Amino acid sequence: MKLKTYSTIAILFFALVLLPMSCKDVSTKEVLVAQAPTNIDPTAGTWTYVFLTPANITAIAPALPTAVTSAAYLAELAKIKDLQSKLTNAQRQAIQYWSVGGVLRWNQIFRELVARYNLPPAPNADGSYPAPDSENPFQDPAFPFSNPPYAARAYSYVTVAQYDALKAAWNYKYLPAYNRSAPYKVDAGIQPLMPQTDLPAYPSEDAVMSGAAADMLKALFPAAVEEITRKAGEQRNAALWAGKATDSDIAAGLALGKAVAALFVTRAGGDGMKAAIGTKPQWDALKANATNRGDIAWLSQDLPPRPPMLPFFSGVKCWSMTPQNVIDVRPAAPPLANSSEMAAEIAEVKYYADNIDRDRIAIVHKWADGVGTYTPPGHWNDIAEEYIRDANFSEVRAARAFALINMALHDAAVSCWDTKYFYFNARAVQLDPSIKTTTGLPNFPSYVSGHATFSASAATVLGYLFPAHAADFTTMSNEASMSRLYSAIHYRKDCVTGTDLGTKVAGYTVNFANTDGAGN
Amino acid sequence: MKRFYLFIFSLFAIGAQAQSLTDGLLMPKGSFCTGLLYTHDQWKNYWEGGLKRDNQNIGTITTQTVTWMGNYGVTDRLNIIAMVPYVKTQSSTGTLHGLEGLQDLSVSAKYRFFAKDFEKSGLRFFAVGTASTPLTNYVIDFLPLSIGLGSTNFTTRLTGNYHLESGWYINASSGYTMRSNVNLDRPAYYSDGQLYSTNEVKMYNTFDFSTMVGYYKNGIQAEAFYSQQNTLGGGDIRRQDMPFVSNRMNFSKAGALLMYYLPKPKNLAVRASFSYVVDGRNVGQATTFMGGLLYTIHFSNKNETIVPKP
Repeated sequence: MKLKTYSTIAILFFALVLLPMSCKDVSTKEVLVAQAPTNIDPTAGTWTYVFLTPANITAIAPALPTAVTSAAYLAELAKIKDLQSKLTNAQRQAIQYWSVGGVLRWNQIFRELVARYNLPPAPNADGSYPAPDSENPFQDPAFPFSNPPYAARAYSYVTVAQYDALKAAWNYKYLPAYNRSAPYKVDAGIQPLMPQTDLPAYPSEDAVMSGAAADMLKALFPAAVEEITRKAGEQRNAALWAGKATDSDIAAGLALGKAVAALFVTRAGGDGMKAAIGTKPQWDALKANATNRGDIAWLSQDLPPRPPMLPFFSGVKCWSMTPQNVIDVRPAAPPLANSSEMAAEIAEVKYYADNIDRDRIAIVHKWADGVGTYTPPGHWNDIAEEYIRDANFSEVRAARAFALINMALHDAAVSCWDTKYFYFNARAVQLDPSIKTTTGLPNFPSYVSGHATFSASAATVLGYLFPAHAADFTTMSNEASMSRLYSAIHYRKDCVTGTDLGTKVAGYTVNFANTDGAGN
Repeated sequence: MKRFYLFIFSLFAIGAQAQSLTDGLLMPKGSFCTGLLYTHDQWKNYWEGGLKRDNQNIGTITTQTVTWMGNYGVTDRLNIIAMVPYVKTQSSTGTLHGLEGLQDLSVSAKYRFFAKDFEKSGLRFFAVGTASTPLTNYVIDFLPLSIGLGSTNFTTRLTGNYHLESGWYINASSGYTMRSNVNLDRPAYYSDGQLYSTNEVKMYNTFDFSTMVGYYKNGIQAEAFYSQQNTLGGGDIRRQDMPFVSNRMNFSKAGALLMYYLPKPKNLAVRASFSYVVDGRNVGQATTFMGGLLYTIHFSNKNETIVPKP
């Protein structure tokens, strides 16, 4: 061969192999676009509050704003003009970043926090497991271990606190004594660097969100205080730089957001979470319940055996359900381990374990949302994000959508954990060790599937919010549910019953939404 | 929930099977060497980032590979080398399902661009280009039990060989591998401190270097080698996390290789090797044995034993 032939080969390699693969960087969060809502929901202050009482709302009233003609306010406007005249590229990027909507942004931020902290403690040398410690969150194991129930609760606290805080803000924005326009409406010399709306600026909704979300997140993810604080500060600055709010709009919003967060932090401190881990004698009692029923009690399949994940999460306060409701929706008992009905269930799990298939594994991994991920509740927030973005909601209506979804997801976690630990039955893998799984085996009893319960509850609320897509949400939810059978970690009965439970649980939140005054 | 660890697929890149890519030998024009190699790779300890540990939820990970290899002498200076591995993985404890399947087809062109002979020794330089791509849509997001990492790769390699008439030689070889992005079955993942809302994963390029000292004469080859491979980016496995396809997988390993051309039947060679990972990051501390048979056909039908030449 001649040199020419070699050069041709080299050029072909370059064109066919190197060019298509030349190191493409992967962008992280490109899915959001600037929001310009057509309906700013002026009556949102009258919508039903999830947690705040009228007395709470009176107690957190902002100071009255100064008039737009006052010297103090004119000085604030002058400051914005001055800032806008020397915006750096980094500041413009921050404006761009937050213009997609604070509610959507904060949802992304805390999905990332959940994924970061969703790591179980590593075992000690003696086979025991250390417990994450909220007073020492930086050590190994880090605090929290944001497993699915922890995450469901965390998502609900952040979204509900933001939602109630925004309603309170809307309430004051439209009271005549507080109603003050955005700086860019008051002074033509101020450029609107985010999409313009007619929403009054006092108190600033961006500052309200930053205060409510940041203070909730700091309580839930104490090791991430620095970056949460940074994000919150940046959101307020972006509102200022964009000509959306003055310093006093922001100060009033921040105070209101923080005051609301404080009420929610108090609720969280007494919602039963502290007792959710339980003690060894309590775990043994759960085991005895199953044995007394004639069943084979669940055993951890982790090596070394790990204490069950949050066995008393069933005692955590719900958003839309009473403790009695949780008992009312609890499904009937699963078939006993040695029954012929269970033998058929095990045989089906074994079939999927022995006949793994590429398409089924794709479904398993699409919905696995295991260790190190944002969990199934996070996945449903991720799914909701696109629909909420495309709906072009006002901030308060976007907050409502996320709050309703996460209220149902949290109540689903409580009801599902109630069922799991009430029956405390064994996984198929425990009853037949020849069964191998295509995703990690969760460390809690089998019946009913958490994925099925979570998915059905979120899909039901999403279907309520976006009825045109209801069938799509049901399809996704059913796929998520069956993925647990395909991966050989759940019986079909766990999946089907979990879907049914999740649908019932979401009904309570939909009932709340139907009469909250927001319309749909 | 369990955590696992990372199968050292990448070790194969410059592993025993790929010895033909890093050595200083070429098949003569018109000859075709082909055969099957069996590799048994096993580890119990692994590095979670920089922390060496074991994990009872996987116990020992065993990876068995059968590789078809073909090496054709286009000219005395240019060889084309192709490989197709079939890989099977298994864990000794825990509940995770092993996987198996055809992995990546790789095709290499190895070209000797410099040769100088001295009185009792010789110096050679080779350029090697390797393209590899998955033959099947195998699962990549199930480490340490995935059978491969799923990227399409292109490696450029430079190898030098200095040999004495007595049969002793030293080699040095270094390669740079560009890797395509890969796609997961899931819509989001957390890696290297960030949540990515996409199924696409950036695979950082890798760099490798190996040195060998050996003896090759009269159809016998014996060699000791040391090699190092680094991934030029990517996150560590977090504490008690699952391994991830784009982790920064680094390792250095030492080993030895034997090849022997049987007196009879003519043109049949046995090859065996052993290697051990001495240090690593986000990989298993693998012990690897390889054994295989290679048969050489000469299309011009010369009636002599065909052996690769420096």
